[in-house]
Amino acid sequence: MILPTQHNKRTRRASSLQTDVKPSSDSRGRHRRRMIVLFLSLAAALAIISGRLFSLQVHQYPKLVEAANRQYRRLVPLVSRRGTIYDRNGREFVGSLRVSSIFAQPPQVENRERAASDLAKALGLPAQKVLERLKSDKPFVWIKRRVSPEEATAVSQLDLRGIASIAESKRFYPKQELGAHLLGFVGMDDRGLEGLELQYDDCLAGKPKWVVREQDALGRPIFREEADEAQGCDLYLTIDEVIQYVTERELEAAVAKSQASSGTAIVMDPLTGEILALANYPTFNPNHYAEASSFARRNRAVADYYEPGSAFKIVVGAAALEERLVRPGDRLNGEDGAIEVGGIMIRDHERFGIITFSEVLTHSSNVGAIKVGMRLGKSLYYDYISGFGFGNRSGIDLPGETPGRIRRPKDWSALSLASLSIGQELSVTPLQMLVAVSAVANGGTLVRPYVAGSLKAADGRVVRRGSPVQLRRVIAEGTARTLTNILKGVVTDGTGKAAAVQGFEVAGKTGTSQKLERATGRYSRQKVMASFVGFVPAEQPRLAIIVVIDEPKILQWGGSIAAPTFREIARESLKYLRISPAAGGPFRLAEGMLGAASRLN
Amino acid sequence: MTAKRLPYDRLLCTVSLLLVGVGVVMVYSSSAIKAQMKYGDPLFFLKKQLLWAVVGLAVMVWAMYHDYRAFQRYAPVVFLASFLLLLLVLIPSVGVKVNGARRWLRMFGFSFQPSELAKLSLILLLAKFFAGRADRVESFVQGFLPPLLLSGLFFGLIVLQPNFGTAAVLLLAAMALCFVGGVRLTQLGAALFALGALCYLLMLAHPYAQARLLAIMDPARASSKASYQIHQSFYALGPGGILGRGLGDSIQKLFYLPESHTEFIFAIVGEEIGLIGALLVILLFGILLWRGVRIALRAPDLFGTYAAMGVTFAIVSQAAINLGVVTGLLPTTGVPLPFISFGGSSLVTTLLGMGILLSISRFQVTRSRPS
Repeated sequence: MILPTQHNKRTRRASSLQTDVKPSSDSRGRHRRRMIVLFLSLAAALAIISGRLFSLQVHQYPKLVEAANRQYRRLVPLVSRRGTIYDRNGREFVGSLRVSSIFAQPPQVENRERAASDLAKALGLPAQKVLERLKSDKPFVWIKRRVSPEEATAVSQLDLRGIASIAESKRFYPKQELGAHLLGFVGMDDRGLEGLELQYDDCLAGKPKWVVREQDALGRPIFREEADEAQGCDLYLTIDEVIQYVTERELEAAVAKSQASSGTAIVMDPLTGEILALANYPTFNPNHYAEASSFARRNRAVADYYEPGSAFKIVVGAAALEERLVRPGDRLNGEDGAIEVGGIMIRDHERFGIITFSEVLTHSSNVGAIKVGMRLGKSLYYDYISGFGFGNRSGIDLPGETPGRIRRPKDWSALSLASLSIGQELSVTPLQMLVAVSAVANGGTLVRPYVAGSLKAADGRVVRRGSPVQLRRVIAEGTARTLTNILKGVVTDGTGKAAAVQGFEVAGKTGTSQKLERATGRYSRQKVMASFVGFVPAEQPRLAIIVVIDEPKILQWGGSIAAPTFREIARESLKYLRISPAAGGPFRLAEGMLGAASRLN
Repeated sequence: MTAKRLPYDRLLCTVSLLLVGVGVVMVYSSSAIKAQMKYGDPLFFLKKQLLWAVVGLAVMVWAMYHDYRAFQRYAPVVFLASFLLLLLVLIPSVGVKVNGARRWLRMFGFSFQPSELAKLSLILLLAKFFAGRADRVESFVQGFLPPLLLSGLFFGLIVLQPNFGTAAVLLLAAMALCFVGGVRLTQLGAALFALGALCYLLMLAHPYAQARLLAIMDPARASSKASYQIHQSFYALGPGGILGRGLGDSIQKLFYLPESHTEFIFAIVGEEIGLIGALLVILLFGILLWRGVRIALRAPDLFGTYAAMGVTFAIVSQAAINLGVVTGLLPTTGVPLPFISFGGSSLVTTLLGMGILLSISRFQVTRSRPS
């Protein structure tokens, strides 16, 4: 700073340099003061601004960071790929294609009318509908899901503020109808609506589905690198694609041949409860599920029930044998094919005289079965019925399973015990029937059926592994063996001859039940359920199979339509599984039973 | 003590170069994505700004090696030229209208804002005026009325464009010169009071100006549109924190912050290089202020003093107003940050001013060493 005392001298010298007006020393001093005032006020302004910056960038830092992040981060559905479903040998049942979906963030869209008409043109939608969505006050709305690549390009070229696309996966069922009722289908938002897609939806879809994404003011992601794909788990089924195919093919043929309204067939490993095939006909194409009727879409193998009829004689026989109320050779009076119970005449399809207990089953005598049932009595018989799993869900990992219907003994009428002995007055699902017969096949253990072999996360980690579950022992192994021998007779000498597979011993039982007329509440004369349930090879069972044909117009007997279908499915499956008649695999049975025994303990 | 030809003020020159450098870098950083999107060329604004910086620096060098007294001689001519240009820009077929304001003249493929030149020419003319009648300055009619009329004329013409921000900065610089020139404080106070009333009336006539003021006074109550810009500015500065997000890493420039490469460029500075970077820029303006006032105090004649003070005040006060807007202390005015905001007219005239200042620095009165 120049001191004021030197001021005068300096001014004089300065003015000597030029010829300008000489300011008085007084005015010069005033300039200095006023200039310093200006200097100080500007310096003060800069200081205040600095203080303000300090406040904004240090004091309010956390608050402003949060507010800014709220602005950048929008909830956006994550790019996700739904898990694949494979059969037990890793053959793909279901895949996912990558497609684009167009969405809008309405608050950011400018000139909505124009944007709506541009979008409508690019996507082939009604402009009015698009405009409605753009006028929504939601932060996120879909404009069109799963567009074609051409449409996606067209939209990106429009370069509209607040409109963007995101990669989504689209479920694709390459095998069309194959396994439709098992797989189910997914809705527009890629969530499972039916079948395994629904059962294991959380895992297949992967989670979380919505994530926070940082984006610029135009709604485009700020960091361009691909976000971590939310990969769903892959599902490996117990189903064998080949057996499934054979089962579906044979079932369809049987329904067509008998002019039936529908049919169901299930193939299961009786030792483990693994479902190898499950089919209903009519079926549907999961790629176009909306076009199918709800009947066609329903997995009737577990969701619908029927009166099992004669096939249920397996249960009454098993109970009587286990309780030692009867032996295979015991003679029973066939009453010439008719018996009166509670004022109602129940008839046989043949006029049987004196027959053995074995023959009651092989020739399916109603009179004989009723007499055996009478020996058991209400409560004991009921215990065995529920012991074999009827009236309870089997516990299979498929949605929509019904427990079936069975009344408690106290609600039974005078006729009920007799009716139940021949498989009437109760409703079961095809799966329940198969599981009950599997207990006979595997030596007396009720198993829980399952279709999910394993669920593997994207990183290869097994999230869940399906394993055989033995629920309980329902009959002794000896009883099971005795009953198996009798059931072999059904196929060799009785009603189920058509089920015989060349080179193998087959055990099984036919069933032909009149359907209840909904309108009258009485049994129909024309409408029947024809079924066959059995297992093969009888001594070392590998496959338990049930075939149920609903309302066949011709070939109405279980033995004439269901049994041959059983045979075809069994024959082809055994061939495919390379099970030879000679080396059926006795150690596998031993292994299986040993395993079952250890698990039971 | 003697007044002699000295080398120019190297510190001030360095500060100018640094500010121009910061400006070029920040213009590129804040505009690249916008430019890519709008013009398909991320370098669009950078190229223009670089060209203007080269032109501006050439003008600065030309001016600093010129005897500043030439500017005193030609001040009335420059003023007259500015006046004509201000008139020209108002003619509909000549002035280019952008966003409802007629501020630009198109010449040789370049746009030019006459108001920027008008600011400098008014400062030079007032400096000449006060230097010439230092003895009569206390008379209202002879001392204060002529500058008042001259600045009022320019103020009115610029308001007509309209460009209130630049008009206000021009008037403020003129009043500062009147203050330094020795106008009586009572007269100056009355004039400022009248100006305040005029501004208030102008504000009433323009509802958007009211909204802008309210946005500062009471952000919570203000309409979202008026306070949007200032909030976006806070969302840039705040998260910048002490060290910043890193050069080029601003998120706010991604279309959140409007005018991110012009009026609000300083918010991007704060976001990318943090409080430290922002304070360094303020420090550069502080040094400019210090050196400028020092040159004014040591100028060998009154014209030099007034011209140096006027240029310094105009640049630093405009910077302070811009920074006040960006930090939410003042309502938005549309005034660019000297040196740094994108814009050729502002940069070239600022550098011309710096050239004059540096020229004056070469003729300093210094204490002679005892020999």
